[in-house]
Amino acid sequence: MRVDLSTAVGALTLANPVMAASGTFGYGLDLLDLCPPECLGAVVTKGLSPAPRAGNPTPRIVETAAGMINAIGLQNIGVEAFCQEAAGELARRGATVIVNVFGERPEQYRAVIERCERAEGIAGYELNVSCPNVDHGGMEFGHDPHQLEALTALCRAATSKSLWVKLSPNAPDLVGTAHAAVAGGADALTLINTLRAMAIDPYRRRPVLATAFGGLSGPAIKPIALRMLYEVHCALPTVPLVGIGGIETGSDVVEFLLAGASAVQVGTAIFRHPAAPLRILSELEDFCVAQKVGELRALIGGLRWP
Amino acid sequence: MIARRDVPARLVERRELSPTCFSLLLATMERLPAEPGQFGMLSCGQGLDPLLRRPFSVAGVRPLGSGWGVELLVKEVGRGTAWLRRAPLGTILELLAPLGHGFNLEAAASTRAALVAGGIGLPPVLFAAERLAETGAPFDLFLGAATGDELLEIKRCRAAAGAVGGKLVLCTDDGSVGEPGFVTTALARRFAAGQRWERVLACGPDPMLQALARWSVTEGVVAELSLEEPMACGVGVCLGCVVELADGRRVASCKEGPVFEAARLAARWRP
Repeated sequence: MRVDLSTAVGALTLANPVMAASGTFGYGLDLLDLCPPECLGAVVTKGLSPAPRAGNPTPRIVETAAGMINAIGLQNIGVEAFCQEAAGELARRGATVIVNVFGERPEQYRAVIERCERAEGIAGYELNVSCPNVDHGGMEFGHDPHQLEALTALCRAATSKSLWVKLSPNAPDLVGTAHAAVAGGADALTLINTLRAMAIDPYRRRPVLATAFGGLSGPAIKPIALRMLYEVHCALPTVPLVGIGGIETGSDVVEFLLAGASAVQVGTAIFRHPAAPLRILSELEDFCVAQKVGELRALIGGLRWP
Repeated sequence: MIARRDVPARLVERRELSPTCFSLLLATMERLPAEPGQFGMLSCGQGLDPLLRRPFSVAGVRPLGSGWGVELLVKEVGRGTAWLRRAPLGTILELLAPLGHGFNLEAAASTRAALVAGGIGLPPVLFAAERLAETGAPFDLFLGAATGDELLEIKRCRAAAGAVGGKLVLCTDDGSVGEPGFVTTALARRFAAGQRWERVLACGPDPMLQALARWSVTEGVVAELSLEEPMACGVGVCLGCVVELADGRRVASCKEGPVFEAARLAARWRP
C-alpha cells in the first residue's frame, strides 16, 4: 500500500508533515550526513535577527524529567550571514525553508523578512513571538494580542509568502493571541513554544541556569502541547496549525494531526537522535499502512469527540 | 569529510577503576575513526528519562573480535552515569562518534610534550599518551587526583610514558600518593627548574585548566585544553555548550572544541 504523506499548511504544500523545529537544526546544513534537510517536510531555521546575537551566558541548558530547559537567548549569526552562507545551498538541495524571525522591535522583524525576500529559496516565515529567554522582544509581543496583531500585520505587508506565528504557551490568553495573529494576517499558527520553567541545584542552593528561568521542551510537555493545539483548533477550526511539543514517535505525530495540526515540528528529539525526523517519518508511514490510511490528510482534525 | 556515525554499541566489558570511576568497552561493527580529544554522545538509558545522551571523551579505539572496541572512562556523577554503571553487559547503547576536534598530535609528536590529566579528565590524555607511545614520540605525563584511590589507570600511564623514556608524575591533593598538591604546581616547578616542554595537552577540572592556561600564556608554551561543557546534542545545533573566545565569539565547544588552545580562550580562562 502506498501512502500519500503530503500535506499543506495554508497555501504551502509540503512533501511530508515532519519538519525540524527552530533552534534544533542550526541553519539547515549542520546535519547533512545524518538528516538531509531535503528529506524533511520543511526546515525551520534557528531564529534570525537583523544583526548577530551572542545569546545568554552559560549554563544554558539543563536536563529535567523527560525533558530539558534551555535559555540560549537566540544566539544567531544574523540574517545577512544566513542569506549569504546557507540559503543558496538549501535551495540547491531542494529543501523547503521556513525562516524563524526574531526582533527586539517590530521594525527588526520586518527587516529580517525584507532581507530574506531578496534571497533565494525561502518558502515562508515563522514569527518568534514566544521566546522566554530574552529581555526584549519575543514574548512581550506574543502575550499582548494588540501588539501581536500589529506586529503580524507589519510583517504581512512585507511578504506574500507563507507567514506563520509561533504562539507562546506562557500567554495568559492563548486563544486570544491566536485570534490576534490571524487578524494580523497570519497564514498559520505554530504551537507551542517552550514553557517557562526553572531547575534548582539543591546542593549549591542556586538556580541551575545562568538566567534562572528558561524554556521547557521534550516529551514532558507533549500532553500540554496537544491540549493547547486542540483548544486553538476548536476556536479557529479553519486556521492551519503546525504542532510542536515533545514529539518523539510516529504515533505522536498522528496525535497532533488528529487534534487539528496540518503538519508538525520535531525539536528536542533531534538532540537525542539527529536523524529522529527521518525515523519518525518512517514510523508515521508504517502507522498509516497498518491503519489503512491512504492519505495522511485524512487524519487532520479527525479526533472523534465528543 | 565527516566521519561521525550514529551506531549501536554493545556493552561488553566494565572495570571498576576507583570508588567512583569505571571503564566501559563498547563493541561496534565498524571502526569509529576517533582521534585523541574527540568524543562521542552515548545513550544512558532506554526510555525517555534520562532524555539526553551524555558526552564522553574517547579513551581508546582498538580491534575487538571481528569488529572494533571503543573505550570510555566514566565517573558516576548523576542519573545517566549511574545507569551506565549498572547496565547489564550485552546492553545495546547508541553512540554518535567521533565528534569535535581533538588534540594536535602531529605537533605534539614533533616536540617533547607534557600531558596533564586531573581526575576523570584522564580519558583523552590517556588516548593521546598511548597514541604518542605507539609512534615513539617522547612525552612526560602528569596525573593528579584529589586522593590516591582516584588516580586512574596508573599502570597504563606508566607503561605509555616509559615506552618513550618519559616520566610519570603522580600528584594528590591529600598527599596520599605521589607528590602532595596540584599537577599544575608540579609541572610549573619543573619548568622553573629548567625542564622544557613546548606543548601541553591537558584535560581536567576547570580550576586545573585555568591554572594551566594562565601559566602557559605567561611562559609562552602552547597549551591545548580539553574543556567539558554541558551539552544536549554534541553536533553544534543546541548551542548549549558555548565557550567564549578571546575575540568575543561564543562558539559551540562540541564543534570547534572540545580541545582549544589556551591563548584562544576568553580572559576568564586565565584569571
